Amino acid sequence: MATIELKSLTKQFGQLLAVNSLDLLIPDRKFVALLGPSGCGKTTTMNMIAGIESASDGEILFDGNNVRTLPARQRGVGFVFQNYAIFTHMTVYENLAFGLRSRGMKGPEIEKKVTDMAELMRLTDRLHWPSARLSVNEMQKVAIGRSAVTEPAIFLLDEPLSNLDAAFRAFMRTELKHLQHQFQQTMVYVTHDQIEAMSLADMIAVMNLGVLQQYGTPIEVYNRPNNTFVANFMGSPSMNLLDATIGGGDGSTRIEFPGGGQFEVNDEDLLRRCKSATTGAIKFGARPEDIALEPSGHTGDGVKAKVNFVEPIGPRTIVHLAVGEEIIKVVVPKGSGFELGSDVKAVFPKGKCHIFDAETGNAIGLE
Amino acid sequence: MTEQTVETGAKKKPAMLQHEIEAKRLGLYMSLPAQLLLAFIVAFPFLMQVYISLTWWGPLDGTLWTLAYESMNWFGQYGEIFQDGRFWGSIGRTFAILGIAVPIEFLLGLGLAMLFVQKFPGRPIFYSIMLTPMMIVPAVTGLMFFLLFQGTGPINDMLGLPQNYSWLQDINRSMITIIIADVWQWTPLMFLILLAGILGVPEDQLRMASILGAGKWTSFVRIVLPKMKTVMIIALVIRVVESFKIFDTVYIMTRGGPGVATETISLYIYKMTFADLEWSYVAAMGLFILVALSLLAVLGMWQMSAAQKRQKAMMSAES
Repeated sequence: MATIELKSLTKQFGQLLAVNSLDLLIPDRKFVALLGPSGCGKTTTMNMIAGIESASDGEILFDGNNVRTLPARQRGVGFVFQNYAIFTHMTVYENLAFGLRSRGMKGPEIEKKVTDMAELMRLTDRLHWPSARLSVNEMQKVAIGRSAVTEPAIFLLDEPLSNLDAAFRAFMRTELKHLQHQFQQTMVYVTHDQIEAMSLADMIAVMNLGVLQQYGTPIEVYNRPNNTFVANFMGSPSMNLLDATIGGGDGSTRIEFPGGGQFEVNDEDLLRRCKSATTGAIKFGARPEDIALEPSGHTGDGVKAKVNFVEPIGPRTIVHLAVGEEIIKVVVPKGSGFELGSDVKAVFPKGKCHIFDAETGNAIGLE
Repeated sequence: MTEQTVETGAKKKPAMLQHEIEAKRLGLYMSLPAQLLLAFIVAFPFLMQVYISLTWWGPLDGTLWTLAYESMNWFGQYGEIFQDGRFWGSIGRTFAILGIAVPIEFLLGLGLAMLFVQKFPGRPIFYSIMLTPMMIVPAVTGLMFFLLFQGTGPINDMLGLPQNYSWLQDINRSMITIIIADVWQWTPLMFLILLAGILGVPEDQLRMASILGAGKWTSFVRIVLPKMKTVMIIALVIRVVESFKIFDTVYIMTRGGPGVATETISLYIYKMTFADLEWSYVAAMGLFILVALSLLAVLGMWQMSAAQKRQKAMMSAES
């Protein structure tokens, strides 16, 4: 049971503003991912919530109580470091018991909790091993178990999966979700991997350069990006963002690309957004998997293009199209058979096109 | 009987391959010069010492060392050691000095190291000042404290003690002055080694400990100290070995006096060599101490490896 509320939280390292006036409400028992590239301030934010980094300004509220000045050991949060920070001079058992012991719990009670946790994390046969001898995967389990055993209401994870091998990472991803349901905790999860964030989180907070860019459900963030940064960061391959101008007159609205390509807007959502634009110069965005490729004779909203490059990636193929001077990436099923140099038409999907202010990068007419 | 031989035979390593033999031989050739040098500077003096210690040979005999066997005494000198009260007294005093000085140096060094991990104004300056005593020649340190502890010297002056209150000429207090000089000179070394140890404790683990509810003291006892175990052992071993050999400061400050009140083993050996000219006895004493200390070291190592074996047994029992 814990709601975390950050109010204009700020962290300054000398001249560097690592976190800039961050407002974030993390509801009770939700799984929230702090997502962003390296140096965006996500880990610093996490450290401030845990209390191992002091905030320069702002408030941190747990269930309405300001904990900003409280030392880490009194905040009672669980934490998993990226490198696990296993106490390598202790056995697995002692690692798991550390939090219980320092909170004044006594022998038999500790033993019961530790053995239960070891069972849950499948570490029973490693309990009396020196933890320095564990594999990375086992260390990960110890790191999670060590915090989980103290039953914190808030659990913070700092890129916990990034050091694991691929198979175990996939396993751990589902395991984390299970654990969260089991413990009913509020989980905050720092990652730079948007797929991890999409698959795990109830809510995603996208950060860049210390500033919160967008906060919403994975679908919201994916489908309705606030600005070009979020649009570009979510999804792989990333969204096509093309320089364009809104043109038209005589009742029709057209999106025109420099170097020739253009199409007439018939999509209601896009039409509405184009009408609310105050500037002619925009960035036009569409996701590679949303764009349809049609033969060049096709009638529909789309631009004529030439196949520039074909990149097979197993189940799918990424086709690079030249539209005027710009390149558009389109994802098609494998074996769709688009020849290099052939003329095609890229048809933009209804309701899934985005326009952004070319100067500020902010989405135009987003509801 | 036959079964046993079969068993040990089975454990034998498989025969070496040709290239392995060649590699071994090459290693031998390459290290031969170093081995010869080692034989010359270590093995020869050692063997000579063993030889001399079994005789009565001394500088006053006028016989060549090669002819020392003429005064063969076998283990007579070694028997002497056990009845030599002055020898055991000097051993006792040596252990008293290191038994008191080294723990004080250790605790002071640890405390200072804990202090210097934190940031405070003027730290770099204090840091340099802290390390100065270590760089002073021990004989000079001896001279400094010799002057400080004079009856008419600054210590008595500052403490308001009378001029006839003597430190260096007093049976009990002379020992204290030696210990103070040793602590002053060698605490910095402890401090330096222990500081390196503290700085080597991973920051993440300390943070994790505090997140898990550990206070400063708990973190220190359960994370910092265990992580520093190796460093602490190294620091202690260096200082114990070094202070066992303490000579310069004692020689300058008291010459082992008054009487034999501050006579350490190195001072006793020195006096026996240059004043009493008992060379074969000195050789025997030297060997005796070497063997005794080696036994202690072996015992210590044996215990450490036993602890490691126990841990391994535990691991294999679980997996």
